[in-house]
Amino acid sequence: MASRMTDAPTPRAAESPSTEAQSAAPVVRVLLTTVDGADLTTALATVSRQVYDPTPDVVVVGLESGEPPEGVTRVDSLEEAIAGSEADIDYLWILHSDARPRPDALGALVSEVELASAALGGSKLLVAGTREELESVGGSTDVFGEPHSGLDEGEIDLQQYDVVREVAFVRSASMLVRRDLSQGLKGLDELLPPIAAGLDFSQRARLAGGRVISVPSSEVYHQGRCNEGDRGWREQAGRLRAMTTAYSLLTLLWLIPYDFIVSVLDSVLSLLLFRWRPAVHYVLSWGWNIYHLPSTIGLRRRFKPVRVLGDEELFRFQARGSVRLREVGSELSGRILSAFDEDQAITRGTRRVWGSAGIWGAAIAVLILAFAMRSFFFIGVPNVGASFPFEVASTSLDRWFAGWNDSGLGAPAPVHPSIGVTGLWSWLWFGAEGAARTLLTIAFGFLAIVGMGRLAGRLGYRGPGRYLSGLVLLAGPGTAILAGSGSWLALAAAASLPWAVRAVFVHPHDVGRGRLSHIGWAALLGIPLAAFSPLLAVVPLLSVIAWKVLGGKSSNLGLALIALLGAVVAAPFLLGDPAWILDSGRRLGLSVVELWPVLLAIAFVPMVFIDSATRRLGALGVLLGLVGLLAVRLPYGGPGVEEAALVLASFGTALIVAAGLDVVTSDPRRLMGAVVSVTILFLSIGALGNGRLGLPGGDLNERLGFASTLAGDAGPGRVLIASTQRGDIPGEARPGPGFWYRVVDGQGMTSDEVWLPAPLAGDDHLDRALQSISGGGELRPGELLGPFAVDWLVLLGPKFRLDEVLIAQLDLAPVPFDPDSRVFANPVSVPLADSGTESIWLRSGTGFAGESGSGRVSLAVNEDDGWSPEPGPHDWHATVSAVDGVASFRGAGLNVVLAASTAVLMLSSLGLLFIGRRRR
Amino acid sequence: MKYLSLVIVLALGVAAFLIPAPDAPEPGPPVGVEDPPVSICAIEEGSGRTTEVVILSTVDGPTRLTLFASGQPAGTIGQPTGASGSAIIPIVNVAAVGTVGGLIEMPVSSSAAGAIVVGAESMSAESCAAVPTQRSFITGASTIGGQPFELHLMNPYAGEAVVELVVQSEAGIESNDRFESVVVPARSSTVVDFAELIPGRETLSIAIETVKGRVLGVGRQGIDGESAVWKAVEGSQDWYLPIPKGGGSKRLLIGTPSNVAVEYQIDFYGPEGLEEAYQAGTLGPRGQISFDLAAITEEVAGVRIISTGPVVPTLWINSEAGLAITTASAVEATRWFLPGAGASVGGQASAVILSVGIDGATVSVRSLREQSLVRTIDLPADGVVEIGLETADGYLIESSGPIVAMWIARRDNAGIAAMGVPILDG
Repeated sequence: MASRMTDAPTPRAAESPSTEAQSAAPVVRVLLTTVDGADLTTALATVSRQVYDPTPDVVVVGLESGEPPEGVTRVDSLEEAIAGSEADIDYLWILHSDARPRPDALGALVSEVELASAALGGSKLLVAGTREELESVGGSTDVFGEPHSGLDEGEIDLQQYDVVREVAFVRSASMLVRRDLSQGLKGLDELLPPIAAGLDFSQRARLAGGRVISVPSSEVYHQGRCNEGDRGWREQAGRLRAMTTAYSLLTLLWLIPYDFIVSVLDSVLSLLLFRWRPAVHYVLSWGWNIYHLPSTIGLRRRFKPVRVLGDEELFRFQARGSVRLREVGSELSGRILSAFDEDQAITRGTRRVWGSAGIWGAAIAVLILAFAMRSFFFIGVPNVGASFPFEVASTSLDRWFAGWNDSGLGAPAPVHPSIGVTGLWSWLWFGAEGAARTLLTIAFGFLAIVGMGRLAGRLGYRGPGRYLSGLVLLAGPGTAILAGSGSWLALAAAASLPWAVRAVFVHPHDVGRGRLSHIGWAALLGIPLAAFSPLLAVVPLLSVIAWKVLGGKSSNLGLALIALLGAVVAAPFLLGDPAWILDSGRRLGLSVVELWPVLLAIAFVPMVFIDSATRRLGALGVLLGLVGLLAVRLPYGGPGVEEAALVLASFGTALIVAAGLDVVTSDPRRLMGAVVSVTILFLSIGALGNGRLGLPGGDLNERLGFASTLAGDAGPGRVLIASTQRGDIPGEARPGPGFWYRVVDGQGMTSDEVWLPAPLAGDDHLDRALQSISGGGELRPGELLGPFAVDWLVLLGPKFRLDEVLIAQLDLAPVPFDPDSRVFANPVSVPLADSGTESIWLRSGTGFAGESGSGRVSLAVNEDDGWSPEPGPHDWHATVSAVDGVASFRGAGLNVVLAASTAVLMLSSLGLLFIGRRRR
Repeated sequence: MKYLSLVIVLALGVAAFLIPAPDAPEPGPPVGVEDPPVSICAIEEGSGRTTEVVILSTVDGPTRLTLFASGQPAGTIGQPTGASGSAIIPIVNVAAVGTVGGLIEMPVSSSAAGAIVVGAESMSAESCAAVPTQRSFITGASTIGGQPFELHLMNPYAGEAVVELVVQSEAGIESNDRFESVVVPARSSTVVDFAELIPGRETLSIAIETVKGRVLGVGRQGIDGESAVWKAVEGSQDWYLPIPKGGGSKRLLIGTPSNVAVEYQIDFYGPEGLEEAYQAGTLGPRGQISFDLAAITEEVAGVRIISTGPVVPTLWINSEAGLAITTASAVEATRWFLPGAGASVGGQASAVILSVGIDGATVSVRSLREQSLVRTIDLPADGVVEIGLETADGYLIESSGPIVAMWIARRDNAGIAAMGVPILDG
């Protein structure tokens, strides 16, 4: 501090102690505005220690309780204090009582203001109680009045700003203003908080012809009790009022709508950063200004006679664009970049960025990924295989909370857990399901790459392979086959897996710190993993165990068990359809070529003889990968096992690649490991060449678009699809007599229909009908399919038995709607909801709605007691009373509880994250 | 740990390499193929002609006749076969529809139907066909001397059908746009008038090759006011044909739809028993050959035609008893329906039964009507018999050995020859 005292520029007033000079010095009055919690006595003492002659008299403004010390005048408001200042006073020093000016602060202010012929000067504010931390040296604003100090957070004063300069505004904590000007401007706006008040006063002073300068030689320590640093909504509202007071009407005409747009954008972008406050602040700010609009108009009128300059004078000191948007955009891009830049290479400086091997790997991986997803940008996500559009968000969430499962002929069995996640995601995108799906799919690509990079980084690996391995995760031996069969969820599961595994490993620096955050992340990230591929929920636990056995540190068994809690999201689905994990007959029949286990083993062999770190990661990868490949080849388990094993195989392979490419040197062992890893990488990314992350192309819903286009008043019914090729059937298929088949919604298949629940009575009836039709003995197959609301029959793939028998039948009319399939229209199908009258009932959410009446409505869905009102079976299908005009379904209470448990777990996890972050 | 991990990895790798991938799931086993118990009949109603459809069945069950024209059902009627197992439906009671097709739904597959068309001076009958085949062939037609010949293509099904007609005459392959991509709309008929398109042809044979859908082709030949109807059938290499007694022009026509030469052999079942290889020869590509059966014998007889490629034999009778044409049978059976045989509109009727088994057979002839009668006859091996029939809706012929049965009828100067319908199951 002593050195600073020595080095500080000496105020001119102070360096001219002659009597003549002193008598010529301007007369100053101190207007000490009281601040709650600030010690007034100390404030007065620091003022009294000012080295300035003539000694300024002090007026305390706004002292509500207690008496001012002797010799000190007290007034109620600043306006009163300004108005009461006599003509012999040259300057008013407006000072907060929580400000502690250095003894030479006033002298420096007066000296520089005089020298610069300025009307308003502000002190350099330093944060009280710190080692010279800068708070303000004046600043600029954007056109909306958003202050921009140009200071970094916690920036230390090294006299780097010690030059007198014109600024857009100075803070009101310590400002020197010409008495005559301040009287003309009627002082500060009493309604405004401190920063906004300073801004408002500075702007008006400038428009009145005065110069506004920052005087860094006048140093003031500021305690901040006046909340000048708080960016609350009042400051925001104050800035808006300052703007509307200062600008001309012409400027306001474009500026206010512009500000509104910026407000909306800022709110939305902030939501992406999980900040809800900005949106609320904007609402309050605009509301406050509307409420105070009359007084704002009054202020404008009062200011009009004083104004001598145009708005251009303000624009000269303003930054271009929006400071708010720039800040939030910068933070967003920073977050995104930091995902790849764990080494802080970018923040260390662009010169050294490319010295980081990880950045190289990330850049290459992202470039390849962008190429691998190009089709999504131009065409969108394909609707084939098991990749179909999301349903309406509210309907998806309703299904998730034990609503009717409409897949096939419908069932009370819970829907796949991913439906809850995609429903929530669509809801977050304000119901724009298409955009939500495309963005989520693109996000999967990036999440897989970043996730692998971050996972390997947490395990201590920094090489280029950690990001490149993300490509192997997306297109490795298992995921490539799954994606090739149309499994969108394989990409989702692959993208979620490294994050969930990472959550159960704790960075050595964080051991013992941020425990709540770790728990929150482990629980939270376990949910999407289990939602997308339920059996993969055990992989974090397996990884931890394997890592510990391999001698690795930083894995946390407790966190792995917590991550396992995420499996609750899949509990209703697995309990409702255990065959999904048990029945091998429902598998897709995907198999990985024998080359892959050989490649994995070869890749691992050289790692055994490198260092323990490489060996450990390689061993973890090869073990997980081989377990996955082995599980696929064993004839046990249903499609759930098949899916999880294939994704696990890719995950293990990706870890091997991360290990093999972590450090590449001329050491033969590392070289061999790198060569095999690169081979694996190249073999994998070949699957990404189609521009759809390996998903097959096409749009089944477009092909079947005739079903909805030609639907009658009762809406589209169902489409029965059959083929001898399993892969031709979208989603899951049922085995028919010599062919596979299933029914899909005529409105277009949605993601919830991918999984077929266990067959019920209606499904058995349909199966028997198809047996009969394929036997050739049915002259009117349409009559047999009609009760199932099958409007259309579509035969795919090579011609087969049904093609033959449908040549010689009477009521299914072949129509040339699709050159790649054989389409038959069924004119005798019943509506999905048949009231038996002219009243039309249509789908409504997960149920049906129509005109109320006294009769009953027959629903072409499997019978279940959960339908209401007054459910009743009729043959295999459900009927309800038409009395309410609505047919709705609610599933078993256990399913509701389990679904709610997931919501509770998710909210709890978020809560833990929030609390953990706060504590940090 | 270093080497242990290596060992474990290698063990897992070897296991993953060696364990075969599980078989891909397969759909359920295909079910047995069974044609629906339906028959398709050629109907003429109006212009002085009327049709009666006769339905015979081994059970008492419901039947339904639907006439289809212009893409729509033109009329439909249901009638049970009753205790006698027979039903007769006069088309005049259904609709006045012209030349159309009729689809008959029968209670079981052991049923049969036939249509008898009766005009003022003409009479024809043919058994109705089951599900049509993709390729069929008809031979024995003629447009010489202004004789009318029409090919009636019937498509009772929901899908449109397209056929290519390959027409062969003594002039070779006939070329005409009307023979190419002939569209038979769903639930409709198309009639191709050969007398108009290619008049003056003495021998016509037509291969019907279905490109899309299914079509039944029926030939309708007219001579001097009399007419005969016979259906196109799929070519085969083994045929049986009972031949009724009588004189006049009684010819056996053998045609082949094959593009290559086909060798054939005719075994003759005459009064002296079976004479194998009675005739043999070669049919040129899409060739046709004619034998004058009356020159061989005027007695009841029979022939068996064996060939190296697909052929279709047709019996062509034009005598004072009228014009009658029918196609041989490619199968032998122990039970036969003769739908329409003995019907009151058909005049005097007879059944011609050929025994084709090694041993003789005991044959019972059952009239299907309210009070049915059964006659039993013994038929020697390779024997042929013609027996008169009484009035009935039709006949059921049952035998202890394999036989082939047909029926003929005459009324004034009009005649009928129609092959029976074998009961192959049940």
